[in-house]
Amino acid sequence: MATQPSDNTEFPPEIILKPLALIGLSGLDTVNNAIHKAIWDAFSNNRRPDRAAVRFKLLNNTFEFPVVKPKRNSYEWYIPKGILKKNWITKRVSLIPAVVVIFYDMEWNDPQWNEKIIECASRVQSIRAAVEGHATRVAVVVVQSGLSPPPSEYMLGAERAQALCSACEIQSKSLFVLPHSDHLMGYIIRLENAFYDIAQNYYHHETKNIKQHRDHLNKTTHQYLFVRHQFKLGFLNELKQDISTAHKHYMHAYNNLLDTRQVDTNVHEIRTVSGYINYKLCKLLFALNLPRDAIAQVKSHIDRYKNRIGPTELLFEHYAWIARQYSAFGELFDEAIRLGLPAIQSQHPGFYYQYAAQFTVKRRQAMRSVCCDASHYPPAPDPMEGIVEFYGQRPWRPGRLSADPHDPQKEQAAVLALQYNERIFNHSAMIISFLGSAISQFKTFHSPRMRKQLVVEMANEYYFCADYGKALTLLSHMLWDYRKEKWWFLASHVLNRALQCAYLSAKIQDYIQLSVEALSKHIQVPNNDKDRIFRNIMAVLNMNIPSPEPNLPPSSQSKALEMWQLAIDKEPLTVAIDMINIASFLEVKTKFKQQKYRMDDTIEVELFVRLTYNTTLEVKSASMTISTNTETIDISITDEGRTTLKLIGGEVKRFLCQFKASPHDNGSEMKIKSVSFVLDSDRRKIVMNFKIDEIKNVEPTVHPELLHFILSPKTDYEFDCIMPLTTTSITSRECRLSLDIKNAVPALQGEWFPTTFTVINHEDGPVHDMSIVLSLLSSPDNPNPESVTELGFTHGEPEAQPIKLCVGDVSKSSSYSNTFYLKTNRTATTTVQIKVMYTINAYETPQLECSKEFTTKITVIKPFEVSTSFVSMNFKPITKCYVDDPFIVMPQIKILSPWNLVILDTELETVESFRYADNKKPQSCISNLRVAEKNVASDAICIQAKYKPKEVAPRVGLYNISWHRESNTDGHCVMSTTALSALPIDECPITVEVNYPEVVDLQTSVPLKCTLIGKTNTPIRLSLSVEGTDAYMFSGYKKFSITVPPRDKVELCYNIHPLVAGNTIPPRLKATVLGDTSRQEVVKEMFEKIFPQNIFVMPKYNK
Amino acid sequence: MAVCVAVIGKDNSPLYIGGTGNDTSTDNELSRQWLVHTALDALEERLASTNNTNLNSSANASRTELRDLYLGLLYSTDTHKIYGYVTNTRIKLVLVTSSTSPSGSNIRDAEVRTALRRLHALYADAICNPFHLPGDQITSTKFDKQVKSLIMNNV
Repeated sequence: MATQPSDNTEFPPEIILKPLALIGLSGLDTVNNAIHKAIWDAFSNNRRPDRAAVRFKLLNNTFEFPVVKPKRNSYEWYIPKGILKKNWITKRVSLIPAVVVIFYDMEWNDPQWNEKIIECASRVQSIRAAVEGHATRVAVVVVQSGLSPPPSEYMLGAERAQALCSACEIQSKSLFVLPHSDHLMGYIIRLENAFYDIAQNYYHHETKNIKQHRDHLNKTTHQYLFVRHQFKLGFLNELKQDISTAHKHYMHAYNNLLDTRQVDTNVHEIRTVSGYINYKLCKLLFALNLPRDAIAQVKSHIDRYKNRIGPTELLFEHYAWIARQYSAFGELFDEAIRLGLPAIQSQHPGFYYQYAAQFTVKRRQAMRSVCCDASHYPPAPDPMEGIVEFYGQRPWRPGRLSADPHDPQKEQAAVLALQYNERIFNHSAMIISFLGSAISQFKTFHSPRMRKQLVVEMANEYYFCADYGKALTLLSHMLWDYRKEKWWFLASHVLNRALQCAYLSAKIQDYIQLSVEALSKHIQVPNNDKDRIFRNIMAVLNMNIPSPEPNLPPSSQSKALEMWQLAIDKEPLTVAIDMINIASFLEVKTKFKQQKYRMDDTIEVELFVRLTYNTTLEVKSASMTISTNTETIDISITDEGRTTLKLIGGEVKRFLCQFKASPHDNGSEMKIKSVSFVLDSDRRKIVMNFKIDEIKNVEPTVHPELLHFILSPKTDYEFDCIMPLTTTSITSRECRLSLDIKNAVPALQGEWFPTTFTVINHEDGPVHDMSIVLSLLSSPDNPNPESVTELGFTHGEPEAQPIKLCVGDVSKSSSYSNTFYLKTNRTATTTVQIKVMYTINAYETPQLECSKEFTTKITVIKPFEVSTSFVSMNFKPITKCYVDDPFIVMPQIKILSPWNLVILDTELETVESFRYADNKKPQSCISNLRVAEKNVASDAICIQAKYKPKEVAPRVGLYNISWHRESNTDGHCVMSTTALSALPIDECPITVEVNYPEVVDLQTSVPLKCTLIGKTNTPIRLSLSVEGTDAYMFSGYKKFSITVPPRDKVELCYNIHPLVAGNTIPPRLKATVLGDTSRQEVVKEMFEKIFPQNIFVMPKYNK
Repeated sequence: MAVCVAVIGKDNSPLYIGGTGNDTSTDNELSRQWLVHTALDALEERLASTNNTNLNSSANASRTELRDLYLGLLYSTDTHKIYGYVTNTRIKLVLVTSSTSPSGSNIRDAEVRTALRRLHALYADAICNPFHLPGDQITSTKFDKQVKSLIMNNV
């Protein structure tokens, strides 16, 4: 932790160490006895925090305890010579054990028991004699093998232990037995805790002793003792690990010290001791988890002592002391954080290290003002020699309390010695070390900018101690961030310092880069002397030594000059500067003139350069790097043919680069990668490289639309308005072919629809290797067109899509045509893509590939619509049919096609449950029929049901229509199939046939024959009745019963005689099924259907 | 007495830094700029934490309960106290008082709040100028004068 360079303000180790109760172990021979060695190792090794807060010390036989001072009975004539004795703490922590433990090997059943007990007692006695005067406790540990004795000897152990206690004159609780066989560590820990208890008891006793003194003291002469006693109480309580009591006593000590009268002679002592006490206080407060109190304590501590400066000729000591207070607190704080204390951005150790650094800077200032004369160490006798008994006292006047110096000459020599020591002290190293600690803390606690400031301060320190290389490294890193956030004032400060460092270390690369940046309009340079910087750049370019920067430390200048002389004509001969990341005096904008270029276009890039520094700059050469997917090309920039560009300060220059794209770049992106300017003398080059593609896509900082209001030189306005365009895309050359489509849309569903296309070559020369690819494009209303649409180059022969057709060469101004056929079953718009690819030999690029995609849309409609009606044999519409009862299917074809069609033939394919009513397939009624749009062609087919199907019949059958366009005479016809709608089929046990005429004459008898045919295997009994009307007379049975035999028929004969003319209701036969009533409904319906509702009766003409 | 006020843009670049006194020596200006620049650390931390809490609480609550623009005391050093204020467009206003002078160390929070609100108003006026380019440093002499008087009188 103590990384800081040491000086006399450092805290002694006994103050910093955590006090632990001291326990002396005697009688262990760790060199010769393996068991003793194991015991000692178990005590002393592996002291984890959870073990008791004790420290073990191995006492050998020659160990001597400090001599006890004679007890003072009265303090009346005692005048203390100082506040805290230097050796007191050391005595407590390493010389006077709280407990001395005597180890002795002995078994309870030892044969030489009597001799052993005497030897042990004598050892105890000798230790007692050695600690004479101290209240150190004595304990005895009997080391045994741990083999359990026979039960008969249990009592023996107890007896003998008792005997041992009395022989050694110790209490029985101070006697311990340590079996060393196994579980040694467990025994050790228990022993350790027991010792710790005894030690605590001892320290408690010691505090009581000290408290007794208090009554003898008085404030006038014993103020120091008030401090000393309270400090001792605090420390003893700390040894006892009672930290809150310890804190209380330290606080008393601190306050008592504040009350002490301070004069120039004791200021150093008071402040030293107060620093120690404050350190203890803060440490305990952190241990008590009271970090706020610790911070408050250190703040008030500094406040109290800030103005206790002491003698002015030793002012630096005061600042050194303050710096040490802060850094020590920072370390304490840091340690507390490592042990788990949370800290925040506004309160963390970094601040205290920073203060320490600041006060060390003040210390150096004080040194500079007061130590100017201390050019040599005073002659012998050395005033610094001498042993000091108390903390903070001066070696040349130890123990003196009087306010006035007793020996002015000696005092003067001493001051001179201190001043000389201070003068040769390396302040910078100390400041850098403090800053380093602070920087890491600020980094941890999210304060990047604070960290940067400290880094810059650190770099300044390196600069002051002439470590220019380190300073330059730090500064150039920091410059970046200030530049990025546009804190130009701070950036200027950093840059100027860096430039000084670069000069002093003669680093050409950094020197040039920093100088170039210094010429930026944002950067302020000392004396506003940019001309000098520009001249320096030119000097380095021409292998001359640049003139020095202003305000350089004179001591380093001549050395710098030497270094320049060595370095100037050596590497680096080419200085490359990355211009995008620095602010500089050159600004560049690049712009492709178009966002897209064709393959055969000339690509043009505009380059605008603004020189903001007022000079004339001759650029030897400039180039632009452009990258595509395949290659990176360099294009040199010329100014009207000259490669040397002349840039004038304050003006914007425009350059134009023209080039052709390579044939491989078709379809790729082209990017401007970088632009570089080369300043060149014969031997050295400065390459200013603008990496255009590294500019992040930040929002443009300049808004051209707002610039109209701003008063600015016209060139600036123009430059600011340019929006850079650093990428362009290269697309294939424009294709100069045209496509002509000829077809008779709309296409009709199901037909092979021909489309003739003609590709006409408008290029300047012949095209080669032309190929054509046909494919179908899907659209929202026609997804997956390839699944329903077929394409082919011959009628009726579909080919796998996409179809590729190699054409070959087509000469200039000629054409190529072909026809493709398309058949689709979906009535939607079909989009066909025709992609034409070819190569052409343009003059600058042979074998240039071109392609063009054409699309054509083909609407597909239905040629006609088929609707069906079902009628009975007398053309009455029916909703169901009966088995074996013939009826007529009437498909009606409504023509939708705008083109005239010819219906070649029609056909009804019945399903299984139907058959034609005639024995053979009937001729179509509408074959070879010419139809036009909106015509309706009606067909009629007589069929009858064969049986009643189990489930409902889906349809009557499929209706096939063969047709073609009237215009199409090549014999290809289309077969369209339509499913006809369904008709329910019912079964009737009988059929009735009756020969009712449609028309009868008045007064003329008509014989009627009614036949009942049985359809089932059982006879059916019917009760029949004739429902007569007034319009007719009739003869025959009016009401009777009849049995229809199975699979046979019964004939009934009637005569009817119409009496009135006009529409009449004829007599009708009604039937009721006798027996099985389930078929009643069907039979009734059958009779209703068969017998007419009316008959027209013709009047008779009287001739 | 305020030692210095600063207006910092949303990209953390300084738009205006003004201080009291006629002392324009480089060292003074430098320490002033360091102070303001390092104050950005605390400002950003504060903004990040308020954003996080806004995100955690429901969106409605954050919308109804508008964030207070005044951030209060950012931090204090032995010599200075630094107050922050952030507008809705992330323009940061920083006011620095001296903790050594009596008028600076006894300043009340409400006074700083008022001063910063007035500075906000002055800033808004200044950038309303059509001849001002947003994002540029504020060079208006009127603004400068008003800010200087704000520093002298109010605080």
